[in-house]
Amino acid sequence: MTTALPIGPVAGPAQDGGPVVAAAAVAKQYGSGDGVVHALRGVDLTVRRGEFVAIMGPSGSGKSTLMHLLAGLDGPTSGSILLGGRQIAGLGDAQLTALRRDRIGFVFQAFNLVPTLDVLGNVLLPFELRGRGPSRDERAFIDRLLDELGLTDRLHHRPRELSGGQQQRVAIARALAGRPDLVVADEPTGNLDSRTGREVLRLLAGASSRHGRAVVMVTHDPVAASHADRVVLLADGRIVAEHGRMTAEAVATAMLGLEDGR
Amino acid sequence: MSAVATASRERRRRRSEDDGPGHASGIAVAALASAFGVALLQGTGLIAAAVGADPVTGSSGTVAVLLRLTGLVFVVIAVYASAVVTTNTFAVVVAGRVRMIALRRLLGATAAAERRAVAREGLLVGAVGAAIGLVAGTAAVAALFGAGRALGALDGTAWSPADPIALVPAVGVLLTTWLAARIGSRRVLAVTPMQALGGAEEASEEETRASRVRSMIALVLVVLGAGLLAVGIGIGSTDASGLLIAFAGGVVSFNGIVLGAHLVIPRTLRLVGRLTGSSPTARLAAENAVRHPVRSTRSTVGLLVSVTLVTTFGVAIRTFGDMITAASGADPLYYAGVDAALNLVTAVFSVLIGFSAVIAGAGLVHSLSLGVLQRTRELGLLRALGFTVQGLRRMVLAESGQLVMTAVVLGLLLGTVYGWAGAHAMLGASPGMPGLLFIGVPWVLVAVVVAGGLLLTAVASVAPSRRATRVSPVQALGAD
Ligand SMILES: Nc1ncnc2c1ncn2[C@@H]1O[C@H](COP(=O)(O)OP(=O)(O)OP(=O)(O)O)[C@@H](O)[C@H]1O
Ligand SMILES: [Mg+2]
Repeated sequence: MTTALPIGPVAGPAQDGGPVVAAAAVAKQYGSGDGVVHALRGVDLTVRRGEFVAIMGPSGSGKSTLMHLLAGLDGPTSGSILLGGRQIAGLGDAQLTALRRDRIGFVFQAFNLVPTLDVLGNVLLPFELRGRGPSRDERAFIDRLLDELGLTDRLHHRPRELSGGQQQRVAIARALAGRPDLVVADEPTGNLDSRTGREVLRLLAGASSRHGRAVVMVTHDPVAASHADRVVLLADGRIVAEHGRMTAEAVATAMLGLEDGR
Repeated sequence: MSAVATASRERRRRRSEDDGPGHASGIAVAALASAFGVALLQGTGLIAAAVGADPVTGSSGTVAVLLRLTGLVFVVIAVYASAVVTTNTFAVVVAGRVRMIALRRLLGATAAAERRAVAREGLLVGAVGAAIGLVAGTAAVAALFGAGRALGALDGTAWSPADPIALVPAVGVLLTTWLAARIGSRRVLAVTPMQALGGAEEASEEETRASRVRSMIALVLVVLGAGLLAVGIGIGSTDASGLLIAFAGGVVSFNGIVLGAHLVIPRTLRLVGRLTGSSPTARLAAENAVRHPVRSTRSTVGLLVSVTLVTTFGVAIRTFGDMITAASGADPLYYAGVDAALNLVTAVFSVLIGFSAVIAGAGLVHSLSLGVLQRTRELGLLRALGFTVQGLRRMVLAESGQLVMTAVVLGLLLGTVYGWAGAHAMLGASPGMPGLLFIGVPWVLVAVVVAGGLLLTAVASVAPSRRATRVSPVQALGAD
């Protein structure tokens, strides 16, 4: 199984685009009274067009929570989140649903595909949820995407007939098919071997560098983080460090430092 | 509502769902069947006593025996329906517990012991349900008796609730529930300790693939039954005893159909599913309905049984009545007075058999709920991708409608055939009867059945759809 590096048409100038998502002083609490959990305690983070950001940190530091908020899966307790210039903190469920459908692509660690739909059905699902099929132009883009992901001869297979790596590629195809502004990925390589994982990372990197998507990835793996343009370290609900591109070793050292400091 | 409140509610809800669906609906089904059976037998006992006290009709002891026998037939129907439903209920309970069972297996429990534990629960569920039914059914008839006496309608009627025959349905329900739990818990044996370690992939309910043998037996029963039906109708044209043979044919062939339902129902489900349209909601619903063919089949069969029976009696009685009306021109005296009785019988029978639809409905709710429960993550995924809450609601409704309408359509077809056969086997021999193609369709009853189906579709989807819409998109992410 060899997959060429991505991909398709270069969607305009990829580097130093405008902000896609901007979080300011974002806090999130779960529960109340004695049992209150401060998952995030004031986070500022901006992710630009064409940028691939990795979020790292010890378990329970708030990585997933932050990602959920950026993707409109949940609302912050306080603070502001601008997605494409629009305030999404405080939006109702229906508006957030429409927002996710139209502007955000998701890649999950597991359970990322609808088991009753075949590969093509899964990839086209976001379009169907928008209430219209893909246009001719979009369809051509999707076909190229599927081709480059090596999925063309798998279009009518069900997810359970695919390997984990193939499933994850389908999920990536689905996340990119609708050309969303923001792609979020929660430990996308968590269930994959290192070679397949690397492939997935290259795809995500390509989505940002060549397609101009903003990509936010949560990961525990220093190697995965080394593929990102920027590494954000979270601890105890706060951003404690931000780095540019880092080697896996540097990431590992930084992580160790965090854990020792606790 | 604050996000904080939502989150804590979420936590609580998740905890309560960890054990999977419980035994409430199993007990409800057993209690319904038992209450129905007990009330029916106590009721026929009361009627027999009342008839016996009447100087005109009381001379014939056969009335009492006939009443009891007819009552027993309905009891058997209800107990049968509840057994079918309970089997599914337990399969569903086990499917919801796979992880728990796997964990216990991992810690050293044997598969057989785990299964015995589930069967024991079945015995308990059956005992509780049967007891509730025994009390409730007897109390209902006693109340009727009391009311009748108060109105002076039952003067001279001696009736006592301590009637041993009333124990028959209760014991029947107890035993069939136990048996159904044993059958439904077969799946426990297939749970491996590995499943406690694996990812959170939907508890794959590896459907025990229906064996060839089973299909063969089903086919043989259907063919044999159809043959008997034909013979019964044939004899019926010369001799009234044809009814017995036709009845046997009906029972045999219908059991064949139930046994072979796994061949017919998934296909019909697919067909009905195609009719619901091609929106993503409808397509996903259609796929879900056939995702677990065995489970869908079982949850549909209960309803199929009751729709078929209601239709059978409705068509039989209507055809019977129409034939008599047609024939009474030939010999009016012979048939005088039968008509009023027929109308009463139709109404009573429809209500009596229709009750099994309530039992089947309880099972339907249970299996729809489990479907939703097992798909929690998938539903979260759909929400994350942009499925609206209304979309989920429509999906569950479509799924429910597919199951119900499949049962209704098949049941109406089968019941029409059986009803027609029954009427002809019974009356064909009598003078002046119209030909074999004569059939009376009780349109009112058909309309009521369809309307009941629509109502059931909506009612059965309420709880599962509430559960589905409470799934938050966050649940699709992370390993949790
Ligand atoms: N729904 C919830 N209700 C209550 N507390 C929650 C909820 N979700 C997360 N938390 C808490 O918020 C904190 C941050 O959780 P989060 O899932 O964001 O951590 P994480 O960095 O993703 O950890 P991991 O690396 O283990 O996935 C943790 O203390 C967690 O227990
Ligand atoms: Mg996490």
